[in-house]
Amino acid sequence: MSIIEDKDILEIMLTDLQRALKKPRKERRWAMAIDLKKCIGCHACTTGCMSENLTPPEIHYRPVKEEELGEYPNTGMRFLPRPCMQCDAPSCTQVCPVTATYKRDDGLVVIDYEKCIGCRYCLVACPYAARSADVGHYYTGDFRGKTYEVENSGEYGKNYRRRSHWHSPIGNARKCHFCIHRVEKGELTRCTTTCLASATYFGDINDPQALITRLISKPNVFRYKEELGTKPMVYYIT
Amino acid sequence: MKLFGVFVPEKDRLLSYFSQFKQGKGGLTVYLAIIGLILGGFGFGSIFILGHGHTINTSSLVPWGLQISTYVYFALVSGGCIFTNFLGNMFFHEKYKTLASRVIFMGLITAIAGFASLASELGHIERMYLFMLSPNPTSPMFWMSVWYTADITILLVEYINIQRNNHSKAMLYASFVIPVITYCSLGSLFGAVGTMPYYYSSLLPIYFLFSGFLSGNALCGIIAAFQSKASGNLRLIKPFVRLQKIALASVFVLTFCRVIIGISSNLSGYEVFRETFFQNVVFGIGGALVVPFMILMYKRTVGGLILSSVLVLVTQFVARLDLVVEGFRVPVFRVYDMPERISYFPSIFEILVVLASVSLVALVYVVCEKTGLFEIAGKETH
Repeated sequence: MSIIEDKDILEIMLTDLQRALKKPRKERRWAMAIDLKKCIGCHACTTGCMSENLTPPEIHYRPVKEEELGEYPNTGMRFLPRPCMQCDAPSCTQVCPVTATYKRDDGLVVIDYEKCIGCRYCLVACPYAARSADVGHYYTGDFRGKTYEVENSGEYGKNYRRRSHWHSPIGNARKCHFCIHRVEKGELTRCTTTCLASATYFGDINDPQALITRLISKPNVFRYKEELGTKPMVYYIT
Repeated sequence: MKLFGVFVPEKDRLLSYFSQFKQGKGGLTVYLAIIGLILGGFGFGSIFILGHGHTINTSSLVPWGLQISTYVYFALVSGGCIFTNFLGNMFFHEKYKTLASRVIFMGLITAIAGFASLASELGHIERMYLFMLSPNPTSPMFWMSVWYTADITILLVEYINIQRNNHSKAMLYASFVIPVITYCSLGSLFGAVGTMPYYYSSLLPIYFLFSGFLSGNALCGIIAAFQSKASGNLRLIKPFVRLQKIALASVFVLTFCRVIIGISSNLSGYEVFRETFFQNVVFGIGGALVVPFMILMYKRTVGGLILSSVLVLVTQFVARLDLVVEGFRVPVFRVYDMPERISYFPSIFEILVVLASVSLVALVYVVCEKTGLFEIAGKETH
């Protein structure tokens, strides 16, 4: 358990979340911070995300990249979890020809599965490779009789079941959505709660009191590929 | 509006061809094209019935594959036909005009064949109506769809005009300007993607335009060569030989610039240019551009034009596949057991889709040619 100011950080973030949810949606700005010094590369966030969103094979909303730094004998490892950056200037929403992917007023970049035509232009345009194409693969090879494969994941608070390639989300682009279906119910994102090292922080950066706001205002923070001008909403603490 | 004799061949000639076809005298190309269409139909059917997961080899790592490159190829061929039509009308007048309706017709058919290939790649083709109901003006793909529609409409009007000997200069210019914008939009669809260094370039829309001109002119060149052989009028091939040389030289310059810019950059992702340098120079420039140019330089005959054009059509097809697929060679975010370099080979179903598109073009053109659809426009002045 990670403690800040004599409190468990999950409790602090939950309190922050409750406070944020009381505000109108357009006054919130969801963001995530990941402390790379704390991340141990256990992939609990990845597996937690997979079970939460029932993602099919080869689709990882939050993979963890293992990077080797330096040269022998001065070497080290760095683990870089990569959720969707929920960019403030996203290239994916710009290229979507039918506005199936768009930015909500709380800053989240979401996909309307019922509108996505599956052209995959957003996959090509995303500089973080945060999007995947759901082409209709199943872990069990054939979904018939395997209820896990076709259960409702609850993504976006809707009833999406991977019944066949005629039904969304199969044929669509998919990506991390900061577990918005959980957040709107007052729960933290799954990756935040499953993180063994409490390296993931989530909250509303429009709230000056929120833990995440205080963390990202420090100088040891960077944003991935910030030079591209996408203004990512995921901050890495080093 | 008159249907027979304009859009479809005259009824009696069509019926007479059909009876010949039943007796096995329809022409080898037609029988081969029908077999190709049946096999291609099987490919299409399998993709739609079984789904992408079981039929095609594209994935999150290679989101666009053979079907997209085939679409790009046919779209560019279509644009090239219009380019050829415009330049032919402008600079070669009498030598060209007997082939005008065929050239525009090919522009139409290849545009449709390209769309057929694209349709099999989309995850939810049934939602295409959203291009109208929920458009996104910031998307190059949206603009491409707008111009593509305008392009097919203009082509159709131009074709009808030619077939009805009602040709106007205004329509000729419109049928040049709109396709140029359309195929530059297609180029910007790739060229505007800043995340893919292999695509990202302001050069790409121009490169697409001239590559299209080259491919379209090559296809028209084959038609001209056969027409020339059939009519014994060797002057028919002259405009196409000349235009093909211009197109080859233009694409040579653009390809050379693209490769040079690519290999001289140190930005992340540009290593694709260095890794594909050999294939780009030897095949992309040497085999695809220099050899066809040399053939036309030293063999300005019907055979030379056919050989050069076939070489251009085949190598441009491979070049389009290379362009689309090589963009994904270096993974943007490499995790887990992802290879350092992504490779892609199309599935049999994807290849069948290509076969269907090619067969469609061949079948429709040959049947229309054999039933004399283009004779009206060819005989009279417009």
